[in-house]
Amino acid sequence: MLMLDRGRELVERRRILWLLVVRDLKVRYSSSALGYVWTILDPLMMALVYWLVFGFIFDGSKRGIQPYILFLVVGVLAWQWFNGGVMDTTRALQQESKLVRSTNLPREIWVVKIVLAKGAEFLFSLPVIVLFMIRYRTPPTWDTLWALPAALVLQAVLITGIGLALSAVTVLVTDMQRVVRILLRVLFYLTPVVYSIHVLPHAFLRDVMAVNPMTGVIDLYRRCVFPSTELGWHVPAISAVVTLVIFLLGSALFRRLEPAVLKEL
Amino acid sequence: MAVPSTTQTAPGTAEGPVIEVRNLGIEFQQNRKRRLSVREMLFTGRSSSPAGTFWALKDVSFDVSAGEGVGLIGANGCGKSTLLRLVAGVMLPDTGTVTVRQGVAPLIELTGGFLGDLTARDNIYLTAGLHGLSREQVEERFDEIVDFAEVRDRLDTPFRHYSSGMQVRLGFAVVTTLDEPVILVDEVLAVGDRAFREKCYTRMEELIGAGRTLLFVSHSEKDLKRFCTRGIYLRKGEVVADGGIEESFKAYVKDSDKASGK
Repeated sequence: MLMLDRGRELVERRRILWLLVVRDLKVRYSSSALGYVWTILDPLMMALVYWLVFGFIFDGSKRGIQPYILFLVVGVLAWQWFNGGVMDTTRALQQESKLVRSTNLPREIWVVKIVLAKGAEFLFSLPVIVLFMIRYRTPPTWDTLWALPAALVLQAVLITGIGLALSAVTVLVTDMQRVVRILLRVLFYLTPVVYSIHVLPHAFLRDVMAVNPMTGVIDLYRRCVFPSTELGWHVPAISAVVTLVIFLLGSALFRRLEPAVLKEL
Repeated sequence: MAVPSTTQTAPGTAEGPVIEVRNLGIEFQQNRKRRLSVREMLFTGRSSSPAGTFWALKDVSFDVSAGEGVGLIGANGCGKSTLLRLVAGVMLPDTGTVTVRQGVAPLIELTGGFLGDLTARDNIYLTAGLHGLSREQVEERFDEIVDFAEVRDRLDTPFRHYSSGMQVRLGFAVVTTLDEPVILVDEVLAVGDRAFREKCYTRMEELIGAGRTLLFVSHSEKDLKRFCTRGIYLRKGEVVADGGIEESFKAYVKDSDKASGK
């Protein structure tokens, strides 16, 4: 019930939440000369590198779906939201410590605003995918109508859950930031970003992969661009359940550590 | 026993004292052990090294009714600022409860909401918004804020180019234009140059005259007597005296004389 209360408080304060999201974006785009270009340049360069390494040197283009570069861009952009969101929410409370200590807002707001600001950046980068789709004459699938919103919501909830847990723990254990950085790097290769989940030989292995919620999220995004394959819906379904569990655990942990965290800030 | 809690109800919904503090206690770690025992906390919900803790506030109870000016008196580290933070709801108690029945304007960490990369204009909208004003309300008060802080010719300068005194001035100007009936002040008046300090005093007096409730932390006898009618003297986290500002201050002076005389 307490969790519902917190959720309602956040909804009541949505104007302030919006203000913080806009502030983050403003700072992001006004403090660098290239601004918006970075939003798309960074993931594009990464996609290009993966394309060279895995598409040419290893000739692993069979491991993805053609056109491989489009396949990569979708995965890399989604991963960038996840990666950036988790990294930034880890520091969420410390970064805004002065505000946390001087304004009486529901503390979850500092995590949620980062998730939304990073999500907005992800939306801003979607035109890149559209350009690639035009270049390769790939029209969006009908699944897009619901798979895209589902993926966006699922990913936002996932990052919020992880961010709530990590932001609180990091205040108490400062080393956490380094641990998170390493884990994210490992998780990148355990998530089907540069390869497709289809390359796994057994349905059972695919289900194991789906326990990593980003597998399902990226699968949903890819359904928007590539016609759906013989794979059923249980990969996104498993990921959705895991996401929900992570969210509930993260919120509970945040609430539990809150008094101690406020003393340490 | 009651669950430790901080409640801030919407303005005008309940009767009774504006601020109600009951058996309030908060425990801090003396050393950095807490950071090591986090794993323990996760599994047991508490840390097992009680030796390294102390109570910054212990069994504190008092009521503040509407329109009262209350000064918190005491030596450094006696828990004044912690108490103010608990009332503001930016810290959570370990025991007891704090109930605040009206909106709060906290003059704590005044420049905390400002961002160096944005202009003063953006920062005013932002900070006022964080404290609950809508865009229209800020527009209405914008000139008042700017004139009070005397920053009109620098409105479009990035905030990090402001001197620290000017930053505090702007912070003070924004927070005191909020309509909240309860004002919490944590020694912010000591900053700023002489002319501006006088201006702050006048603004504070106006606010008190308008019937706002004030909770005030200061070491300055002059300021305390100017704004407060009642004083609460804290010693090592416990309320030693609660009464007229004169008497409470006398008790504090007597104690500190005794301590330095030893």
